[in-house]
Amino acid sequence: MTTPPSAAYEGVPPTIEPLEVPIGERGLWRRMPKKVWVGVGIVATYVLVALLAPVIAPYDPLMIDPANSLASPSADHLLGTDQLGRDIFSRLLYAARVDLPIGFLGAFLPAIAGTILGALAGFYGRWVDTVIMRTADVVQAFPAYILVIVLVFALGQGARSIIIAFTVLAWVVYARIIRGEVLRVRDLDYVHAARVAGLRNLRILRVHVFPNVISQTIVYLPSDIVFATLALASFSFLGLGIPPPTAEWGAMIADGQPFITTNWWFATVPGLAIVGLGLGLSLIAEGFEEALRG
Amino acid sequence: MGRFGFVAKRLLQVIPMLFGIVLVVFMVLQVTPGDPARQIAGLRASEEDLEEVRESLGLNDSVLEQYGRYVGNVVQGDLGFSYKSRKPVASIIGDRIGVTIWLMGAGLLLVVLISVPLGVISALRKDRPIDHIIRGLGLVGMSMPAFWTGVILLLLVANTTGWFPSGGFGETFGEKAHHIFLPALTLAIASSPFIIRGLRAEMISVLESDYISTGRSIGVAGSRLVRRFVLRNAAGPGITLIAIEAGFLLFGAVVIETTFALPGLGQGLVIAARGRDLPSVQGK
Repeated sequence: MTTPPSAAYEGVPPTIEPLEVPIGERGLWRRMPKKVWVGVGIVATYVLVALLAPVIAPYDPLMIDPANSLASPSADHLLGTDQLGRDIFSRLLYAARVDLPIGFLGAFLPAIAGTILGALAGFYGRWVDTVIMRTADVVQAFPAYILVIVLVFALGQGARSIIIAFTVLAWVVYARIIRGEVLRVRDLDYVHAARVAGLRNLRILRVHVFPNVISQTIVYLPSDIVFATLALASFSFLGLGIPPPTAEWGAMIADGQPFITTNWWFATVPGLAIVGLGLGLSLIAEGFEEALRG
Repeated sequence: MGRFGFVAKRLLQVIPMLFGIVLVVFMVLQVTPGDPARQIAGLRASEEDLEEVRESLGLNDSVLEQYGRYVGNVVQGDLGFSYKSRKPVASIIGDRIGVTIWLMGAGLLLVVLISVPLGVISALRKDRPIDHIIRGLGLVGMSMPAFWTGVILLLLVANTTGWFPSGGFGETFGEKAHHIFLPALTLAIASSPFIIRGLRAEMISVLESDYISTGRSIGVAGSRLVRRFVLRNAAGPGITLIAIEAGFLLFGAVVIETTFALPGLGQGLVIAARGRDLPSVQGK
């Protein structure tokens, strides 16, 4: 059973079931279900589009042409033009260069921070645990979206602020998952054996504990990227995310909404782009889980 | 101590936390650019006018003094006045909270109506085509941004059939229910996949347990078995999940209120945040 990624931002730790297969086991990649590869293919396509956007895109995504605004799709403009006459197809491609990095960083950074802090809290216990986990409680006490709004306003609108806000919020979930796992592993025989053999704490943590708990982070990460991307799009839609004129899928949907009856493709297509990416990542997440939970 | 002691202790812990939260929000909004005095006095106001407004609002006092005064007022139930609309924040919240409660209530109702049957079918027909279809739809639903789903529903349902209004909120109960349906459905589409997933997993593990086999072997009929034994035991975790989702619904509500132009709390918050309206943001 998985927990909604949304829970990450409401501060509820996902239910953890112990993984049955250690992450380093040989042949694990070969046993990955097919859906993982389908998902990887989809995500790779998005990454490729983001990288090649300047080459593929027929127009400058910011070039306005008021005389030719809200045009219907044609050979010149594959998806027509927006309210300022900008080419929607080009903007769609360029938006991948905004949404992908923010979605990925907005999930990777909290994953790294939360994994390390959770491992420290679980392994060292006592005041380290108290400081880290009480901080986590405080972060959770905030209504998530208010915290993001407040942080974005304090740091100024833009990609950097959004990523910082996501990191401040989402590390908590990883910390809780990993702390629980470390508590479980910490008292296993081989860890005691390592202690008896005279290994230092940091080495035990790094070599013997960490590799056995990290898979929890990896299983949770793809769903978290989906949620970071959706959250970014939502904040941009509300006008609190990436400021105009930068092309961003959520902002494009907001641009297109007033013209939904006449130019339905305008708001529809950027949403499909988000759904496609989310679907690819969700397939990876489900596949990982099947493979690792045995 | 017992259960009540635990609850009481928890509630007491909430109080310092609330003060902390108000303090952080207060500090952050203090250091952000944007001058509330300019907002009130207008663009053409002279420097003297601005100074006068600042003085009357107490904006020249130290941050600590302002915070102390704010907390003092809040404790007495006074949330201050919106800089922009000059209305008391408490009354703005009062006007708007009803809409948000409607949206969340109707949303939760639809979540239950959608997820319970689909989760049950999916679990009972595990790995059959219908299960694959439900899970596939779930993956799509999870990946759809709620505000986009709203736009699509407006396009496909409201525009083509004309059965539902495309925005706003009504006066009578019937009108309200009519206006809230599409926004609530949007909310339900965003949340149901998670509940369906959880319920399915929970039901499958119950179905595999020994007492169900026993029930089968002594001849309890299928539908009765599902209702009396499976569903009842899978319901607990399901309800927990729905409670977790309720927190998420609040964020969903903010976005969806904007899509459907519903005059609720979320929309008010976004408008206030865009306009740097300190007291309004803090109140929420």
